[in-house]
Amino acid sequence: MNESVSFFGLVGRVSKTVLLLVYALFALFPLLWMIIMSLKPDSQMFTTTFIFSPTMENYGAVFLRSDYSHFFFNNLIVSVSAVLLSLVVGVPAAYALARFQFKLKEDIAFTILSFRFAPEILVILPLFLIYQKTGLYDTYFGLIWVYQLITLPLLIWILRGYFEDISPDIEAAAQLDGYSWWQVFLKVLLPLVKPGLVAAGLLCFIFAWNAFTFPLLLSDARAQTSTVVALRFLASDTVHYGQVAAAATISALPEVILALLIQKHLVRGLSFGAVKG
Amino acid sequence: MSTTVVLPPEGPTIEPARTELSKSAAKYAKRKALRPYLILTPTLLLTIGILIPFFAAIYLSFTDFTLRSSDYSFIGFDNYVSMLQNPDFWHSLIVTLQYAFLCTTVEMLLGIGVALLLNEENPISKFLRIVLIFPLMIAPVIGTLIWKLMTNPSVGILRTPMSWIGLGEFKWGASPDTAMFSLVLIDAWVYTPFVIILVLAGLRSLPRSPYEAAMIDGGSAWFVFKNLTLPMLAPVLLITLVFRLMLSLQEFSIIFALTEGGPGDTTMSLSLLAYNRGFPFYGVAEAIPIMLFLWAIVYLISFILIGFWRKAQQRASGVA
Amino acid sequence: MASVQLHGLTKWYGKRRGIEDVTLDIADQEFITIFGPAGAGKTTTLNLIAGIVAPNGGGIRIGGRDVDGLEPADRNVAMVFESYALYPQMTVFENMAFPLRSPKHRTSASELDERVRRYAKVMKIDHLLKRSIQALSNGQRQRTALGRALVRQPDLFLLDEPLSHLDAKLRHSMRAELKEMRSQLGTTTVYVTHDYLEAMSLGDRIAVINQGRIQQVGTPKEVYFMPASVEVAQLFGDPEINVIDARVKSKPGGLRGLQVLGENVPVGVPADVVLNGAETVKVGVRPSDIDVVETNSAANFHGLVYSFEPLGTKSVLTIDAVDGTRIRALLDGHRTFDVDRRIQFRIDPYSLVFFDVERGRFLAKSKLKGEEARDG
Repeated sequence: MNESVSFFGLVGRVSKTVLLLVYALFALFPLLWMIIMSLKPDSQMFTTTFIFSPTMENYGAVFLRSDYSHFFFNNLIVSVSAVLLSLVVGVPAAYALARFQFKLKEDIAFTILSFRFAPEILVILPLFLIYQKTGLYDTYFGLIWVYQLITLPLLIWILRGYFEDISPDIEAAAQLDGYSWWQVFLKVLLPLVKPGLVAAGLLCFIFAWNAFTFPLLLSDARAQTSTVVALRFLASDTVHYGQVAAAATISALPEVILALLIQKHLVRGLSFGAVKG
Repeated sequence: MSTTVVLPPEGPTIEPARTELSKSAAKYAKRKALRPYLILTPTLLLTIGILIPFFAAIYLSFTDFTLRSSDYSFIGFDNYVSMLQNPDFWHSLIVTLQYAFLCTTVEMLLGIGVALLLNEENPISKFLRIVLIFPLMIAPVIGTLIWKLMTNPSVGILRTPMSWIGLGEFKWGASPDTAMFSLVLIDAWVYTPFVIILVLAGLRSLPRSPYEAAMIDGGSAWFVFKNLTLPMLAPVLLITLVFRLMLSLQEFSIIFALTEGGPGDTTMSLSLLAYNRGFPFYGVAEAIPIMLFLWAIVYLISFILIGFWRKAQQRASGVA
Repeated sequence: MASVQLHGLTKWYGKRRGIEDVTLDIADQEFITIFGPAGAGKTTTLNLIAGIVAPNGGGIRIGGRDVDGLEPADRNVAMVFESYALYPQMTVFENMAFPLRSPKHRTSASELDERVRRYAKVMKIDHLLKRSIQALSNGQRQRTALGRALVRQPDLFLLDEPLSHLDAKLRHSMRAELKEMRSQLGTTTVYVTHDYLEAMSLGDRIAVINQGRIQQVGTPKEVYFMPASVEVAQLFGDPEINVIDARVKSKPGGLRGLQVLGENVPVGVPADVVLNGAETVKVGVRPSDIDVVETNSAANFHGLVYSFEPLGTKSVLTIDAVDGTRIRALLDGHRTFDVDRRIQFRIDPYSLVFFDVERGRFLAKSKLKGEEARDG
């Protein structure tokens, strides 16, 4: 088993790197180009490619002089609230599924997971009617509720693994030390799963932020999110491409930053259920 | 207390000597048994709340409810029958299956390949591992938006390179011949990182000892891959496959953003079909059976694949 | 300080039996060991006493009161887990202080500080108080776990195999320390182990448990010299006791002789051994009670050396007897033997333990020339 010393080994390594870089180009170039476009002034839009004089006027137009900021904040409120609700409900659930052995356990786990797979349109069709009737249409609450279909299964899926990693002896020790079950949960268990909470919370935020179909059809001018509105930019305003790019960048920026911050936990969280089963 | 208490060991117990539990002990045991259910109560409530639209959907599918008027009547299975008789439905089914199959295949192959490449310890790989998840973080709609811009005839950056390879007139989403290709391209762009992450995590969690043994016994790289890596990786691969397949079968936003099901109905997947029936045309009750059918397919396939996954897990733990 | 009574405790895990009908009476300030092989039900018993799991049958009293309905927090019991169960993100000090901060204990800050430091000193870890437990060695972790249990001054200590993850030398010194701690503190203690040396050196009494049932409860001497069954006898002693078939023959004058190992060597059954007319029995011979001799005698058995293991001060000799039975003898380390050498050996009838043939239960053992001679 000779490695990199031979000629073929070297050729192999070089071609591996080349292939990798080709894929990297495919994956990352569109993002870079989007940023470039967003910084291009209208005057140079059709005449230049990579060399131009960057400007912030597109961002200004989008954020300050249109109602885009309103939708941006909508997205923020709805996504954060959805994640918070999922945390409150999902963390105890993840614990229960990790620890206890009871009859309906795997059935409940599978049901929760299957929400992820339900066709969005299937949910939306009746929900549209129900929301109209109950006045939840185009409200924050309506969206937060539906978003649970996205955030809750994901959160439970990730956190279950983290809870399973904690030895049950520690809980027993804390109980013997004089703490009731709830106190053990709050004072001992939660601090131990904190990395999982962060990973799950941020990942759920990202998916909630990116939701398209639900806000498209279940909300309108009042509660609609920036993800949906960004598309409108391209449909209507076909001249100011720079602004379209700026809108897209603003929409994409929060999550890219978050992803950078938690990328280690992200990978661990996403792959937990898959690798450990 | 130093007297010997010698209890004769008993043979096989025929009738277990059970001492009754005291009342307080029985209460305590019950309390402990109820705990998981108590903790799960909020989730269960939420789950029931979420199940309501599903049941409502099933109920509505047996009516002729439309968004135009608020009175409706039961029409039994009429919606289902007309759906099955409608050629549009079958066309959409084919489109959906085509889309899902193409996307999943491309993403799995590409993802596994890139994951294998990234499994090395050099600075480029380390850097790329972090950065390559970005496409997954972007909303699929935004991703579609970016690609639309890139392929735009006036300002798109891809005009020039495409003309270099003689495809200057490539119509991307606008032409029936190229629409599906464009969709799969965008889907792959967004979701391949997902496959990469999972497969990479799987690769890194593989035990070292079988590989060391193979090195001593002398196996070629391909042999090692085929007989060690693949079987041990099978569970991860299967679960990734399940996820991608399930999600691509009901993908909506990418198709909606690029073609809205067109041109004509070339890319009218089942989700798009149901959307069209329900919203622009108000036929909510008509649209539901389409989605229930899709859901049934998703359920069935996931059920079968999860069965394979369980078997693969057992085999993998045998190998390791 | 408290007495503990376990009455008819039973715990089932699904279809699997954890423990069954466990009854034990532990006196105040007693140090009792629960000894048995892996999976016997030792940890289950501890968990039941602590209240971590609820029993399917039976009851527990601590300090004279029923604790069956009490949560672990209310039982005033401290437990040292086999895995130590230390709180990972905290320092040694915080780990030991954690119980005192609980709503159950409500200690003032100054008293908390004083107590933690005092017990840290007892456990000889007072120089490690600021260290995170991730940075500790196994032995230091174990002391921290012990310290955390001590700090609460509970009624009852439960120790689950505390020495099993320590290397041999450390285990030895910790055993001595535990004995000293025990005499200083005098708290009732239940100590679980699968190591018979620990069980015998530490406990006032030993409760032998196997397959979920108590086989015997007694002092270390009682359990060693008068084991309740062949199983119990085999659990104590290394090398294992030799259990061989024997025939009882009546002789004139009311005497009885034993025929063993296929030879007609006269081994007299001691007069005070009551066998109730059994004609076949099983006898247990401890390896240390077999004597390999050089001089010929009618009282010698014959055999072939199968294997010889020198172990320093002692050595183990495996002998193939005339009828093919393989027995082991523990001999002084100065003697050496070659494999396949013919040897002669003797068995001391006063050291034999008699078991009944069907169930392997204890029948009798001579009290003459018994434990007193074996002291030390």
